Amino acid sequence: MSTVLHPGPAPSARQLILNGIFAENPVFRLALSLCPAVAVTTTVLNGLLLGVAVLCVQVLSSVTVTLAKRLIHPRVRIPVYTIIIAVWVSAIDMSLAAFTPALYAQVGLYVKLIVAFAIIISRLEVFASRQPLAPTFFDGLGMGLGFLLALVTIGAFRELLGSGSFAGIPLAPGKPLLFFALPAGGFFSIALLMALFNWVERRTQGGRAGPAKSAGGHGV
Amino acid sequence: MSLNVLQPKPRLTGREIARIVLSMSLACLVGAAVLGVVYLGTDRYRRASAAAGEREAVRDMLGLDAGARLIEVRQYLASATRQVVYRAAPFGATTGAAHEVTFTLDGALAGERDVPAGAPVTRDLAPLGRMFVASRAGQPAGFVVQGETRGYKAPIRLFVAMKPDFEIVDMRVIETTDDPGLGAEVAQPWFREQYVGRTAEEIARLDVTKDPMPEDWKAALVALARRAPDGPARHGALLERERTKPIYAVTGATISSRAVTEGVRKTVDHFRRRWWLLAPHLEGSL
Repeated sequence: MSTVLHPGPAPSARQLILNGIFAENPVFRLALSLCPAVAVTTTVLNGLLLGVAVLCVQVLSSVTVTLAKRLIHPRVRIPVYTIIIAVWVSAIDMSLAAFTPALYAQVGLYVKLIVAFAIIISRLEVFASRQPLAPTFFDGLGMGLGFLLALVTIGAFRELLGSGSFAGIPLAPGKPLLFFALPAGGFFSIALLMALFNWVERRTQGGRAGPAKSAGGHGV
Repeated sequence: MSLNVLQPKPRLTGREIARIVLSMSLACLVGAAVLGVVYLGTDRYRRASAAAGEREAVRDMLGLDAGARLIEVRQYLASATRQVVYRAAPFGATTGAAHEVTFTLDGALAGERDVPAGAPVTRDLAPLGRMFVASRAGQPAGFVVQGETRGYKAPIRLFVAMKPDFEIVDMRVIETTDDPGLGAEVAQPWFREQYVGRTAEEIARLDVTKDPMPEDWKAALVALARRAPDGPARHGALLERERTKPIYAVTGATISSRAVTEGVRKTVDHFRRRWWLLAPHLEGSL
């Protein structure tokens, strides 16, 4: 089975995971879900926790959709996807509240918002609803890891520059560049890291211009 | 398949509608079942960590050492018999015995007995309140009482910590849904420290002002909240001047500041009246 996105032979697990982390990184390439990417990434730990939550929700939702795709009526597929995502988000939300109460107190609000993350529903519609179980699992894993790594990178960048610390451990006195801890600084951080991401990819791929797949991000 | 959005959709038949309804219902049913299982699996741990957080807050507010005993008293209203029921048990205990004391609404003792701690509360008992009593050598060493007050949007839950003579030692806003930056600012440490050191009689007459707070008083309250070594001394030096003055409202949170002050006033007032009734019956539990 081939789709518009992946013509030719079915891609391997490794290709699918690397695709999510680099070629179609949700934040740096597809520019999806930027709002939460800015909101929670003032510290590394917040980014990590939300990233892990998104990874779990993405994999669980993708797998659920691919297993149940025959039962989902095409005319109501988007509402059904939303229900599936909401169920897994609520399950993760309850688990985090039970097992990591201190971290949950800080990012709990954003965990509930994962229901509306554009990246998750777009992978369900574009990939999981058309592909068999194994590729779907690896696509979800790759996209989740891509989002997780992006959040951790942005969180580390902003925490280092904005608060002069890493994972809560102070490294520099005072607040070197408070601007980066503020919301506007979040967008600048993403832009700077996105530029770096593009530059590194250009260099490593020997001048092969990365296809400009994204038409700009929208949605939450 | 990716173009199916563009093609005109066939008209819905009754059969088709039935399939859609079935598909959605199935998704909702399975989802509800999954959530139910997760809830049953995690709720125990969520309660345990919430209780651990409360225990930490109570010990911290009263400055208790490990040797102090802490009992929790829950208050219920039995509307059918028009009685108020108090159940006292060691904090967090799920085994052993809880001491139950029952009063009529006008304060006459109606009964006293031991019930198993952690026993489920029957449906005819409506929760009214909670309080924690710390004791050392059988004598009360301090109280933390949970109070509730009407905030700007929804109830504000607070803990008020008192010495045995009902002087305030600490106050915490445990839960508020008022807006961050506005009403939620009443959780600021320097705001709550304003109540510390006032006696129950002063609290009963307490008012709120929108006047600006004197700089030296604010600095002393911040030092006290940060547990600075000279905090208590600086606070004590200014307390005599300030204790008869009203609470200074947080700018932008006047309604919530009034609500919290009213909550503290009511909590202390109610607790004092209850405690005189209750104390003789709890001596065995302390």
